Amino acid sequence: MTISYSDAVLLHCLNQINNERSIYSLYHLFQGKKSSQTIQDAHLFNLTAFFRAFPLLTRMELEKAIEELQHSGLLERTSNEHYRLNKFGESALREFHTRNELPPKFLEGWNYHHLTTVFWERLSILVQVCSNLVHQKKGFIPVQNKQETLEWVKSYIKAQNINRYDLAEQLYNELIFCLESEQTIQPSVLILRMTGNNRIGLTSKQAADMLNMENTHYQLEFLNVIHFMIGTISANQDQYKQLSGLVRDAQKTVPFTLSTEKTYRLIEKGFTPIEIANIRKLKTSTIEDHIVEIALHLESFDLNKYVNENKQERIMKVANETSAKKLKQIRDYVNDASYFEIRLVLARNGGRQWN
Amino acid sequence: MELEKALYKYFGFTTFRKGQKEIVNSVLRGKNTLAMLPTGTGKSLCYQLPGYVLNGQVVIISPLLSLMQDQVEQMKAMGEKRVVAINSFLTPVEKRQILQRLPSYKFIFVSPEMLGTDLIVNKMKQLTISLLVIDEAHCISQWGYDFRPDYLKIGDIRKSLGSPLTIALTATATKEVRQDIIRYLQLETCEEFVFTVDRPEIAMGIEKVGYQEKEERALELVKQIQGPGIIYFSSKKLAEKMAVRLRDQGERAMAYHGGLDQEARILIQQQFIHDQLDVVCATSAFGMGINKDNVRFIIHFHMPLQLESYLQEIGRAGRDGLESLAILLYAPGDEQLSLQLAEGELPEKEQINRLFTVIQKNQLKIEELYTHEELLITSCGFSETQWRFVASFITSHGNENSLNVKERLTNYVSNRLQIKKDKIFKVLDYIQQNECKRSFILRYFGERSTSKPKNCCSYCGLNLGTFRKVFPTNDRGLLPFNWKDELASMLLKRVGETNETK
Repeated sequence: MTISYSDAVLLHCLNQINNERSIYSLYHLFQGKKSSQTIQDAHLFNLTAFFRAFPLLTRMELEKAIEELQHSGLLERTSNEHYRLNKFGESALREFHTRNELPPKFLEGWNYHHLTTVFWERLSILVQVCSNLVHQKKGFIPVQNKQETLEWVKSYIKAQNINRYDLAEQLYNELIFCLESEQTIQPSVLILRMTGNNRIGLTSKQAADMLNMENTHYQLEFLNVIHFMIGTISANQDQYKQLSGLVRDAQKTVPFTLSTEKTYRLIEKGFTPIEIANIRKLKTSTIEDHIVEIALHLESFDLNKYVNENKQERIMKVANETSAKKLKQIRDYVNDASYFEIRLVLARNGGRQWN
Repeated sequence: MELEKALYKYFGFTTFRKGQKEIVNSVLRGKNTLAMLPTGTGKSLCYQLPGYVLNGQVVIISPLLSLMQDQVEQMKAMGEKRVVAINSFLTPVEKRQILQRLPSYKFIFVSPEMLGTDLIVNKMKQLTISLLVIDEAHCISQWGYDFRPDYLKIGDIRKSLGSPLTIALTATATKEVRQDIIRYLQLETCEEFVFTVDRPEIAMGIEKVGYQEKEERALELVKQIQGPGIIYFSSKKLAEKMAVRLRDQGERAMAYHGGLDQEARILIQQQFIHDQLDVVCATSAFGMGINKDNVRFIIHFHMPLQLESYLQEIGRAGRDGLESLAILLYAPGDEQLSLQLAEGELPEKEQINRLFTVIQKNQLKIEELYTHEELLITSCGFSETQWRFVASFITSHGNENSLNVKERLTNYVSNRLQIKKDKIFKVLDYIQQNECKRSFILRYFGERSTSKPKNCCSYCGLNLGTFRKVFPTNDRGLLPFNWKDELASMLLKRVGETNETK
């Protein structure tokens, strides 16, 4: 059975969570919810690529899509909000994977979710402004209307201090160089959306139609191109004199949630979780959530202060042997470990050890 | 007179359009002015030009956020940098920054609910306001089709600002409404300029069709009639559906409604203006502030809710002065949908009762109304529109006892509903009466019909052949799409070279 692209995305993700989480965990993943649970799950089940991939998806749309998959006999329901692929679902997904790369190669939702929108808004307005400058057109309506984006482009162009033709040509050269450096991406996906001096860009729906792609497929390919560009440009700033300006002042690392940030600063000062809970008048479990989030973000974060090395090793051993991702199953084997310790170790080793 | 020089200097025009010069002169002579100019005849110039000539700030009160945003964008596109909008779109930080720099702006747009706060009024008092502009001034009258209770406060605010020179602008206001405007704004003296709402270049058609055939008829019309054009719907869903059907038919059509994200809205609007789209299937959210001269047809798939908004919407056609067509499709019973819509916008009696029970039971204070928003909305089942209506009414009667407020609100709602119903039946009259449609509308606005265009209306005679499509739709203009060529044509000056080297 041939399945649609959006079916494949759902089957893939359901397959990854392996009946251990509800379908709403996917909703939160696609929305990019900044909760410890969602962030940990994304790492645990190797779904970080999809973080904030479909921010406009509604709960109802997701429920409907899952129901339809069940109707077509690809999914079975195991409890109220839990579903599992049956053998038809598994073979359909396998077959899909032979034809398509899913997730797309460069999709890195978790690493770039905070940069994606900013990058696109800046790129599209910069191209529009340069195009109008080169063709000496005044009086156009900007395609982005956020005040901060408009102010960014103004100060950016001023700061370059070169003439408009050279600026536009450099931008052109860098875009061509970047987009041609990788065979698997589809530059049209991006360029169709851009607005220039004599053509208004297409909406994502129009671009998808034009390329004969499903909306879901288009959305992921679009993010794929953007994430590829962010990665390539950030890693080769000296080659991309113009384009690197789009990401330079934007935050490099994924920002903590505000509350986690506060906890982090107290940890840096040497306070223990219990002390921090007292200072901040929060539950210790909340502080522990923050610490798990920090471990996910910062590879340099030292775990040994919270779990001794021997225990870390035993937890990982069980996790690898049983491929269990339910905390309780792990605890049955390592019964001197707390849930916090297990979560912390899994968070650190999440995406890399499994799958 | 130097006025033409100023016109050229600031706008690049050499002559005024009809009415503009008289109005500008009246303002410059220091007279409070009420001007009624039909849609699309350059209302905004009537305050912008005096604004440039006079020293001090121009404060513009405008009721619709989207319209305000459009106007600010357009002024910026014209090169005016000292323009700003104060509305609920701003973050607290942006708002603070803007208020600090307030005297550095020349044109300050502000929404009526923002103007209601002491903070803003106090800031405004420190300015030298050379001109106060009330845009869409008909919103002040409950006889107006778009009554906004917030507008009633403008009179007192104007007074507290020292009664600056004022211009009130509207496109459609009956005599009754114009009297309300002058009274509520507390204009001591006022020069009135009323120009006809008649647009002889727009033929006014009505087609009665069966409910089942409506979609087919709309598709057929678009196939036959010269675009570009707009089709108005009262539902998002139907607008989407018809856009799909039109695309299947080979038209360059898109839907536009409040459910789209911001970027898509800007793009679709701009595509339409730049002739990349021929048809927009829209809800009433579309069209305000759109400057497009060559719109050739406006089709109403559903009955408009009032003749005033109908006139505004069809007024978006034919701004270049060329013949254009308005067609209203009517199926027997359509008025039921209109009545439902009108009722849905207002809270029901049971909901009001429930609301006051909840308020009393929880001993809520009026100032806390918004903090308990969620509780109140869910326990009374308010829609967003209903809630906004109720909340703004109650907060503006904050110092009265709640039984009083409840009674006032109940009366007020039934009064509003009656007015809305009357307006709907007026539209129905317009559709059904056996007489000249143009005369009917003009009479409604207290005018006598003087123009007698060849294609007047479906009663006097209207030849659809005149509007037949002559320029075929230029479909698939982007295919085959080559992204490199496209980038080159955007960013490089000499496009030809990259093509030749292939």
